[in-house]
Amino acid sequence: MFGFGKKKEKKPQQSPDMAGTENEMSEERKAELLHTISAKQAEIAQKAGEEQAAVQEELGLALYELGKDDDAIAAFEASLQNKKSIGPGYKTLLKLYNQKRAEAAKSNDESLLQLYMQKMDGMMQISKDVTRGLK
Amino acid sequence: MGVINFIIDNILTQASVTVALIAMLGLILQKKSVGQTISGSLKTLLGFMVLSAGSAIIVGSLVYFGDIFTEGFNMQGIIPSIEAINGQAMNELGLGRDIALTFLAIFVFNILIARFTRWKYIFLTGQAILWMATMTTVFGYFAGLRGIALILVGGFIGGVFAVAMPAIAQPFVRKITGMNEIALGHFCTIGYVFEAGVAKVFGEKGEKKKSVEDLKLPPQFEFLQDTYLSLMVVMVPLFIVTAAFAGPEFGATLSGGTNYLMFAFLQSIQFVVGVYVLLAGVRLLLGEIVPAFRGIAMRLVPNAIPALDCPVLFPYSPNAVIVGFITTTIGSIIAMFFLPVFGWAMILPGVLTNFFAGGTAGIFGNAVGGRRGAIIGGIFHGFFITLLPALLVTIFNSMGFVNATATDVDTVAAALLYAWIIGPLMKAF
Repeated sequence: MFGFGKKKEKKPQQSPDMAGTENEMSEERKAELLHTISAKQAEIAQKAGEEQAAVQEELGLALYELGKDDDAIAAFEASLQNKKSIGPGYKTLLKLYNQKRAEAAKSNDESLLQLYMQKMDGMMQISKDVTRGLK
Repeated sequence: MGVINFIIDNILTQASVTVALIAMLGLILQKKSVGQTISGSLKTLLGFMVLSAGSAIIVGSLVYFGDIFTEGFNMQGIIPSIEAINGQAMNELGLGRDIALTFLAIFVFNILIARFTRWKYIFLTGQAILWMATMTTVFGYFAGLRGIALILVGGFIGGVFAVAMPAIAQPFVRKITGMNEIALGHFCTIGYVFEAGVAKVFGEKGEKKKSVEDLKLPPQFEFLQDTYLSLMVVMVPLFIVTAAFAGPEFGATLSGGTNYLMFAFLQSIQFVVGVYVLLAGVRLLLGEIVPAFRGIAMRLVPNAIPALDCPVLFPYSPNAVIVGFITTTIGSIIAMFFLPVFGWAMILPGVLTNFFAGGTAGIFGNAVGGRRGAIIGGIFHGFFITLLPALLVTIFNSMGFVNATATDVDTVAAALLYAWIIGPLMKAF
């Protein structure tokens, strides 16, 4: 009635910014991403504030596409610390936190589980703040 | 025997102590250190007492508002505030212990349902569960349930809602976010689905569908940046205009030596202070219990889908949040004037509910019916979330609640389940 069974029949659609690491990546794309990453890393040092946050977000997205989740998390966290935003970086980071939360639950690691739950709470606060116009 | 009687008669009758003891038991079961157990239990005790203090402030302000509204407009004016309902139920009605136990029972039933059925949703919005526990306890009590039955029935109904609401919302959430790993845990879901239904009927379809995200809207509402500031923006004019209608002579009977309009202004601030204090108490009260529950739930249901608070959807459709807020406010203002025509109490618009519930509903409306769906659906949603709480006013009045009604529509639906089905069934058998 409410489409409960649909998730089994239908594979959830992925938005472009959620394009993940599951698809096999061509060598060309890998090389392109590695080039982007090194360029962005160099660019970060030359920028500050909001501009730096934007580059950190782009770096995070490239690292995520390359499958380097921990590095991507670090880049997204640095970006949000610089400037709160709810763009593609935010969405990907929430997804990554949730993955980490699920892994911690499976490995029965209480402290890690609590850490990622707290981080997810923090993401809700950022979303509230940005939507209400807080910088 | 004397000691046991003393404990039962003098300690367990104090809701604040019982709640602290429940938290202590939870902390001991989690094998926390002695220091953590003591500090956690004391924080919970403190939280309950702070919540009570907030409730007393709110009630004082609401009694005043009720008097001037009746004098000024010759009808009852109700402020929608789940915080006020919770505070009054916990204290004035003496249901604090039952609400706390039902709150825990909802957690337990949520885990059981998620563990043993295919619906793996774990509801993580602790505050919303407290509101649900409040409503199931109050209306269970009204239906005639007492003791363990009151807690178990409330826990079961609340647990079912904690799983069913995210499940009902999930097809929409998948459409909005493009993923299935995260769900929506907010007890306003019936309103969201209602808006989606209206948007389906009246909204744009197929290629004609235009998203509100293509519109250029003002980026922010400054008065909404702070919860308490936004409450003040509504409450101050509401109290002052009402006092003006009640007149200086009547106003002076309540304000003593203070000017009647100044007194109304101060009372409106008192209401906001009460909400501030009460919510600080709620945070202290839940600060220990909720993380413990989350840890237990996530380990017992390792493939759980976490149901998060409504801001989880805001990044996917920020314009729809603004459209939803505005249209829901319009709908609630229409309902405010429409309902008294049919003999209902006047339900005043709640700015925070309109923002969070209205905003999220706007995302649903836009996803289903585009711009037109979000706008028409939002107005219907505002009317709907004002009508449902109006249905509870008579019962709240008969139980001694002062000039307030519930807000979150899923908790209202649970209350109506008791009032319209469980209560009559209990009387019939």
